[in-house]
Amino acid sequence: MPVTDVHRTVDAVWKLESARIVAALTRLVHDVGLAEELAQDALVSALEQWPESGVPDSPGAWLTAVAKRRAVDRIRRSQRLERRHEQLARELDQRQDPEPQDPERDDVLRLMFVSCHPTLPTEERVALTLRLLGGLTSAEIARAFLVTEPRIARRVASAKRTLAEEQVPFELPEGSELAERLASVLGVIYLIFNEGYSATSGDDLMRPGLCHEALRLGRLLAELAPYEAEVHGLVALMEIQASRADARTGPSGEPVQLLEQNRGRWDQLLIRRGFTAMLRAREIGGTPGPYVLQAAIAVCHAQARTPQDTDWTQIATLYEALARLLPTPVVQLNRAVAVGMAHGPQAGLALVDSLTADPTLQDYHLLPGVRGDLLIRLGRHEEARLELERAASLTGNVAERAFLLRRAEEIAVAGTPGVTLAQAAGDFLDRDDLEAGTVRSYGQTLRRLRLTLGDQLPLASLTAEQVVRVFATAWGGAAAGTWNRHRSAVRSFGAWASLDDLAAGLDRRAETRPPTETIGQAKLEALWSRADLPLRERTLWRLLHESAAGVTAVLSLNVEDLDLEDRRARVGDGWVSWRSGTAGLLPHLLAGRARGPVFLTDRRPGPSRTPAESDLCPETGRRRLSYERAEYLFKQATRPLDPAGGGYTLRQLRPRA
Amino acid sequence: MRYLMTTKASDTAPDENLYVEMARFVEELTAAGVLLATGGLEAGGVRMTSSGDTITVTDGPFAEAKEAVAGFALIEVRSKEEAIELARRFRRIVGDGESVIQQVFGP
Repeated sequence: MPVTDVHRTVDAVWKLESARIVAALTRLVHDVGLAEELAQDALVSALEQWPESGVPDSPGAWLTAVAKRRAVDRIRRSQRLERRHEQLARELDQRQDPEPQDPERDDVLRLMFVSCHPTLPTEERVALTLRLLGGLTSAEIARAFLVTEPRIARRVASAKRTLAEEQVPFELPEGSELAERLASVLGVIYLIFNEGYSATSGDDLMRPGLCHEALRLGRLLAELAPYEAEVHGLVALMEIQASRADARTGPSGEPVQLLEQNRGRWDQLLIRRGFTAMLRAREIGGTPGPYVLQAAIAVCHAQARTPQDTDWTQIATLYEALARLLPTPVVQLNRAVAVGMAHGPQAGLALVDSLTADPTLQDYHLLPGVRGDLLIRLGRHEEARLELERAASLTGNVAERAFLLRRAEEIAVAGTPGVTLAQAAGDFLDRDDLEAGTVRSYGQTLRRLRLTLGDQLPLASLTAEQVVRVFATAWGGAAAGTWNRHRSAVRSFGAWASLDDLAAGLDRRAETRPPTETIGQAKLEALWSRADLPLRERTLWRLLHESAAGVTAVLSLNVEDLDLEDRRARVGDGWVSWRSGTAGLLPHLLAGRARGPVFLTDRRPGPSRTPAESDLCPETGRRRLSYERAEYLFKQATRPLDPAGGGYTLRQLRPRA
Repeated sequence: MRYLMTTKASDTAPDENLYVEMARFVEELTAAGVLLATGGLEAGGVRMTSSGDTITVTDGPFAEAKEAVAGFALIEVRSKEEAIELARRFRRIVGDGESVIQQVFGP
């Protein structure tokens, strides 16, 4: 047999046998570190001898025998435990047949309890368990957890040292200690499984190798400790979760949520194994522990032939019981999902909202993820989108982030289907910041639109072409002033409802009107000195005055267009430039923002379509300030200055040519 | 990864010892979480052949019985070498005969 093949065979034998070999040796030498060392020495002998002699009939027994001989040699050399050495030698002689079953099995179980001992930090328990019970090398463990090999080696070494120093006995815990120790073993196995199942970092959603290791450990434990319901509960949980492994990623590695999975791709073999494990747990009886409860929930999903068949009421009840045992925020969050399905999104959202103040969940991406889902179902699409984007920014997993971002985008496209033209018009006019005259004027325009296009027209489907047709019919022959008044009503409505191009087909008609009067220098000085006005307004007004640029052009500025050093910004083919007044204010307004509109609204966007991407600040999610709103604010602010009492318009800020 | 090991019928009559050893082997592999499913197959069976629009159903037994699969084991292992190693142990227990190991793709 070629040497490389022997290496592979030795490796395979080692992975299959290491737990038993190390366990048997630990019983002899009472030190897992030494036991593993002796076993590794035996492995080296195998690598030397097997290429010549061939692989022995019972390779595991061969390795155990060689390692035991070395153990005896070592003890003999140490000359310290004379009596024990004799005892060992006798034992070794008696045990030429190395397969009496029960002591060996118990040894493996003892080894599990030792390597998951509560005295060790969790990450050391995990590393040591994979190393001793799974037969993995430090390099393999490091690869699975995406950390460096030396770090795993350090964890293993530190664990061995601690176990030796603390003189942790190689025994089966009993009585009240058993529950705690068993919980630790189960915790380590499930942690390994979860690290494989929902990789917390890296590019892939799953690392199946770790799931497989955990399943093996769990199945092994179920045979070694068959009278513990929680052990079978954990196995059932892992088998059923693993059954969905293939269905939970799409063609390009993106996650597919449970309810969207193709149930035909669930592995029925594993599901059946899960059900069998669950039955064994039920036969043992007792009050269901956390793993049995979680497995019962997994069983509920596995039993549903379609997502619609899911027994959500039962699942919500099981989560309630689970939350009593494990009142962790994550369990509460899952419970909220189940309640949302069983009793409606509003009930689910109420539970989720009670968790948002929990500091342990503050960076947990599933919280905004779940909130987003519930908000979608409640029709609160804008909030849902922000939550999904927040969830995306919190996850460390690349595939999951892409998935969440795509869902957020889909909402942006789909919009709110529910809002009708009549509702929107009503909401638009029913605002506090409109004057009575304006409401009357805008109301006429909107009444005409509603009459012609229908009250029930979905707002999102309203187009500029439809508006043009209404205008041509209703006001085609009207005076320029009337036409323009209706036109500005549509523009204002469009801006409010985030339908930005609604008036795009309506040209402004030339009116004979007096030239715009500019605001006098004294009044401007009075305006500039008013520090009580918001920074955004002061910056905008200074900029309009110093640049003499058009209001639309200035409002369309983006942060990335600005050249703060040269005090100018690119607009279309030309430049807008400013002087010291603006230059002193701009950096404060930007406050470190690097992209998006310079002037942002401070109000929530209205209903209907979400604004175009270019009008949204990618950092704050707020919208570009509209002309209408800016004009309104300026009028309000300049009323005290205007002898006529109506306030000035932004255009009047432009200095006289 | 999963492997299916199929074993062909053999002439050797199983003795008591073989049953005991085999039972222990199966138990051990199940305990280790390696053996997912196993079973023996009836000797004859039914043969289906399709040709064009015709599907022919023939009841066994068939002349070439020695080529027929007599048993199977579905195992979950970490490498092909592990599968081979397990099959090696199996063959040592059952004596002369032939098995085939094939990787199973997808569920």
